[in-house]
Amino acid sequence: MSDGHFSDPACEAVLRQLDAYLSHELTDEVRAEIERHLPGCSQCADELEARGRLRAHLKAAVRAQPVPEGLESKVRNAVRGTPQAQHARWRAGWYAIAAAALIVICLALVNLWRLSRTDSEEAILRKTTGRMSKVLNVGLRDHLECAVRRDPKAPAAPAAEMADELGPDFAALLPVVESKLPPGFRVVSGHRCWAGRRQYVHFIVMSGNKVLSLILTRKQPGEWFDSGIYQTGVDRYQVVGFESHDDLAFVISDLDAQQNLQVAALLVPAVRDYLAAHQG
Amino acid sequence: MPHLHDLYRTAVKMLGDRARAEDVVQEVYLQAWKSFERFTPGTNCRAWLYKILIHTVHHERRGWFGARVVPDSQEVLDGASYTPPIPEQIMEREILQAIETVPPDYRTAVLLADVEEFSYKDIAHILNVPIGTVMSRLSRGRSLLRERLAEMARSYGLSKGGGCGA
Repeated sequence: MSDGHFSDPACEAVLRQLDAYLSHELTDEVRAEIERHLPGCSQCADELEARGRLRAHLKAAVRAQPVPEGLESKVRNAVRGTPQAQHARWRAGWYAIAAAALIVICLALVNLWRLSRTDSEEAILRKTTGRMSKVLNVGLRDHLECAVRRDPKAPAAPAAEMADELGPDFAALLPVVESKLPPGFRVVSGHRCWAGRRQYVHFIVMSGNKVLSLILTRKQPGEWFDSGIYQTGVDRYQVVGFESHDDLAFVISDLDAQQNLQVAALLVPAVRDYLAAHQG
Repeated sequence: MPHLHDLYRTAVKMLGDRARAEDVVQEVYLQAWKSFERFTPGTNCRAWLYKILIHTVHHERRGWFGARVVPDSQEVLDGASYTPPIPEQIMEREILQAIETVPPDYRTAVLLADVEEFSYKDIAHILNVPIGTVMSRLSRGRSLLRERLAEMARSYGLSKGGGCGA
């Protein structure tokens, strides 16, 4: 653009960069040059102020436009489809997980991440609210009580011992889980445990110093997920929750949200198939 | 759904039509849902959704407007040679009207940069054009926006001067 009312070549050079300056798109050197020029040049400083004001007005005006009330539910319903379609999608395995993962990543992230590392388990659990979070907490409690407390340097349990501890219903899930984990992740414990007066089937997986749990537990009244899989971040833990007909299942770790979701996406179809096949 | 409202508002400004913007945004989420395997984890999810929005709007425009779509005409480009001062007072209604008169490609770039605050690099990715093109579209788009606003300010000034004020 030409700025005919500024004749000084130094001003011309600065004006050409003012928008990039406002957008934080300049190198430190160019930025510093402009910042040296501005205090001594009221014309350029006024122009900067005016361009910033125009942007602020435009942004405020566009963002002030009303959004139709029903839009969100309309889109949600379109994405989720009918219950029959949803069921069919779940049967489609990875496709369904990818779709649900999309919803989780892009639409429904509850981010309570980066809270203090020193919080007690109860304090961490209290950081989530609402019904869905309570259901997610069912798994988080066991992870905190069982996996986080485990000595990270303890050797992995032998497979036969894990199979024994898991019992006949879940021993066969161990090789399934092991086969689905990404490289570098290994099961260090598979067992049944109790936390908060309920029983869990618990696989503890490690990758370096990161600890991940796959946790299964029987549903209790009022415990269900509305649509497939849910994710939340609580303190430094990422929790993905999903369900089968009778069970709640969780993938919880101190990986970042994306990584946790990726591992969950690998595990969920196989775990759901396993639970469906061993129902009752 | 944290990105939905932003996507909808951008779509309204791109299309100038609320009902179509609703349909487009719904289509964006359906497309995103269907093509999730093409989303690279770890990349910018918001930018990915906007990329789908741009694609969907282009498709929508072709379908609805047909021959009425004016490719960014050279006259418009040539006309934007002078950058007028920015009016002191800018009304919300005026600026919304003004941005709608900027040709689509320039308007989209300005909306992505100045309203949605995407980086130039993200915009290049969203629009699938080189970064230099993003910069020239932004420059042109902002210029045109200023011109429209100045025109509006002048026309209001004239009408006041003409004794129409009450």
